[in-house]
Amino acid sequence: MNDIDPRTKLIQVLILSTLALIYNKLSLLSLILLAAIVIALLNRINLLSILIRLKRLVKMIILIALIQSLLTKTGNPIFRIGNFTLLTDYGLIKSLEFILRLGIIIVSAAIITTSSSREIIQGLIQWHCPYEIAFMVSVAIRFLPIFKEEMTDMITAIQLRGIDLHKVKFNKKIQVYKYILTPITINSVIKAKELAAAMEMRGFRAYPQRTSYMVLKMQAFDYIIIGLSIAAAFLFFTFQ
Amino acid sequence: MNNIDINNISYEYHRGRQIFNNFSLQLKNGETTFLTGCNGCGKTTLTKLIMGIIKPTSGEIKIFGKRADSLSLGSMGEIIGYVFQYPERQLFSSSVMDELTFPLIFKGYNKIETFEKAKDLLKIFDLEKVKNSYPSLLSYGEKRRLAIASVLMVVPKYLILDEPTASLDNHRIDALSDVLIELKNRKIGMLIISHNKTFIEKHKDRVIKLEGGQIYE
Repeated sequence: MNDIDPRTKLIQVLILSTLALIYNKLSLLSLILLAAIVIALLNRINLLSILIRLKRLVKMIILIALIQSLLTKTGNPIFRIGNFTLLTDYGLIKSLEFILRLGIIIVSAAIITTSSSREIIQGLIQWHCPYEIAFMVSVAIRFLPIFKEEMTDMITAIQLRGIDLHKVKFNKKIQVYKYILTPITINSVIKAKELAAAMEMRGFRAYPQRTSYMVLKMQAFDYIIIGLSIAAAFLFFTFQ
Repeated sequence: MNNIDINNISYEYHRGRQIFNNFSLQLKNGETTFLTGCNGCGKTTLTKLIMGIIKPTSGEIKIFGKRADSLSLGSMGEIIGYVFQYPERQLFSSSVMDELTFPLIFKGYNKIETFEKAKDLLKIFDLEKVKNSYPSLLSYGEKRRLAIASVLMVVPKYLILDEPTASLDNHRIDALSDVLIELKNRKIGMLIISHNKTFIEKHKDRVIKLEGGQIYE
């Protein structure tokens, strides 16, 4: 299924994420997540390796869900210490909803990554999305790993100036991060200016019409998948 | 006594390219060692391993008798001054003066003494005219001089400089040379990556050529 058109994947992801936002019931969200997992597996995605790679994010999601469930006081108490209600059924349901929704979003994002950013951009262009906007999306995707590397290097560099982040108090840590984020923001603006100048020099938007070396073609298989996805979403919407 | 003991370390990148295999090197007190070799032979990787930025897959590195993996990056930065190959990655502040002073003021050093020290370094590295400028907007040579100056604000026990003469004109290389001579007189050891033969000849105690993860002296 990796040969399917990126636009087909975009439609699938759009349907999955929209359904995840519309519905609140745990059973329905579980079904949507299950559907997302099945689509991901059909696309030969190794979900386990993605989970391992995103383990920090997964831990954070679980922590947020835990805090959310502990801070929600509405509903029937499940766990109490003396007069203090630690966990309610409503709080537990809300945190599980949160985990399931983010699970759907992560799996959907994994489905999209089976196409290269260039293919996705081409898909958007062929959907008549303005080239400038599609190009901005591709630049944003292209620069994400660079920003991540820059951020890591800066955190390392500031520590090598003798500032031990593990020993610094929370209020001072904010000050340190201000020092890290300021140059990253300024450098981004500088990079954007340089990129704009380089693009102008290479004749970006020199002609109103653009041709593309890569042209995506929808196959019958793509139309079948899109049709099935829309039908499934409609059935889900009707009979939930 | 050795400042830095590298014992039988191995290191390979994530994609399986082996850089060092049972590599050992000892760097001594007060000695200026130059590290040369072709691009991609592992010079910068070796300095990153010493600084604890990346960890060896096996073997151990000792910094002044302490295992490198037991030191935090912050503690390491207080012992060894490290100037990156690309200086813009180690500049953080909104002005050149703040760049020099903020780590010391942050750690509670005396403000007046810190500013006096910064003024001296601004003079040595010819940065007085740009002391209020934003570091990211400086020229590449100015950024490099500022990166070196900022590392020298905390007097380190040892110094690692990754291509310090790159993008510096002859006048600025001479100024850097004077600083290195003074540091050497204070018995501060240095490991310098450089391709500048004149600069190497002027300061070398020892030259190490890296090739295929091995040493050729």
